[in-house]
Amino acid sequence: MTEWNSSALVKAATKTGKKKNALTPMTFSLLHATDFADRLLYNIIPPLKAGMIVLADRYAYTAFSRDTARGVDRKWVRELYSFAVKPDLAVYFRVPIEVSTERLLARRVKLKFYEAGMDMGWSTNAVESFRLFQGKVLDEYDRLVDEFGLSVIAASGSITEQQRTFRKLVSEHLEIKDDNEYTDDLA
Amino acid sequence: MTTSTPTTSPDPMDGGAKPGSYYGNPIPYLPMDVYPGKIIAIEGTDGVGRSTQIFLLREWLEVQGYGVVETGWTRSELMQPTIELAKASNTLNKLTFQLLYATDFADRLEKEIIPALKAGFIVLSDRYIYTALARAGVRGVDKTWVRNLYGFAIVPHLIFYLRIDEKTLIRRVLQARGMDYWESGMDMKLGDDIYESFRAYQRSLLKEYASMADEFNFRVLDARRKVDVLQDELRRQIGAFLAEPEPVARVEATTP
Repeated sequence: MTEWNSSALVKAATKTGKKKNALTPMTFSLLHATDFADRLLYNIIPPLKAGMIVLADRYAYTAFSRDTARGVDRKWVRELYSFAVKPDLAVYFRVPIEVSTERLLARRVKLKFYEAGMDMGWSTNAVESFRLFQGKVLDEYDRLVDEFGLSVIAASGSITEQQRTFRKLVSEHLEIKDDNEYTDDLA
Repeated sequence: MTTSTPTTSPDPMDGGAKPGSYYGNPIPYLPMDVYPGKIIAIEGTDGVGRSTQIFLLREWLEVQGYGVVETGWTRSELMQPTIELAKASNTLNKLTFQLLYATDFADRLEKEIIPALKAGFIVLSDRYIYTALARAGVRGVDKTWVRNLYGFAIVPHLIFYLRIDEKTLIRRVLQARGMDYWESGMDMKLGDDIYESFRAYQRSLLKEYASMADEFNFRVLDARRKVDVLQDELRRQIGAFLAEPEPVARVEATTP
């Protein structure tokens, strides 16, 4: 299990940058890529080598959509992450903008500065800014679905429903592997 | 909106790009117009006397009435503590190393270099992206990837490469402060003997720099000369460049 933006290495810089609102779209992008590289080499590749399943809570696609929404060059950010291992299965939980705004607002009172895309200066109102920013992020995700063959799960439904679809997707994927192993055993 | 076509660019960095423009993939939200400022990059390995030369150049330029801004490798407010921490803990691998450098460079580019160019300053850069390219080259990081990464770098107006030979380099570093883990390339596991590792590492660095000289139009200067002789040469070349009329027409004429 590996989470976005969790490596110890870049935590300090990200924290300082976020606290001071000092990150530009480029340094925001590069810091997250550094975090990803660190986790890839220490937390993702070793378990893969050991034959384990890695559950990644967000992957390079988060960067592709979010950084591009911030105005970073689309091609540049893809090339930046070209060192990433291609996931065996990439699942995109899609929600309409209203649902995502609603959920976020229900969770806590105040939206975080970068989360709301306030650094873009599109609106001084956090909720309005989030809506504008998140709208662009979702547009970018739609583009990624085709480009990288993401499996889409409608995340506006209930958790039980989503989990059912998710498990079906994953087990389908793993069964293919099981079959291969079985064939190998027979051979 | 155009649909994205995930193509790999054959030429991620155009070494002959116009000074003051981007080398490759740009920062879309920072279009580079023709700004009045200039970037002068002073490159070279450890022990070539970069900081002394920059100190003297700054003084000379300011006396002539130029506004001068200095920027230096890993000196960004955002990244310096992290890079130092990471170096001290030896946990860096070559990829994260490169990305930390790039973040530091991006921070300084956006916050120091580009604003200074807009305001008509001369930016004296103690090392530039070539340091990263050389270190990446020595460590076997994919060349195309690093060049893509630094595509957002602005082409300096002048790049001086202060060159010394391996023997002089080793003596100068040892005399100044001794070897450290990273300067000796100990992360590359070239051997247990720190001196041998240091030598092998610095030798391959020199090779990397040499191979970039043509690609990026380095002005190569022999840094074994005395400080004031080298300084005179720098001043002569910079003075001639600053006295030139704006080379816009000439550059456009050579663009196909």
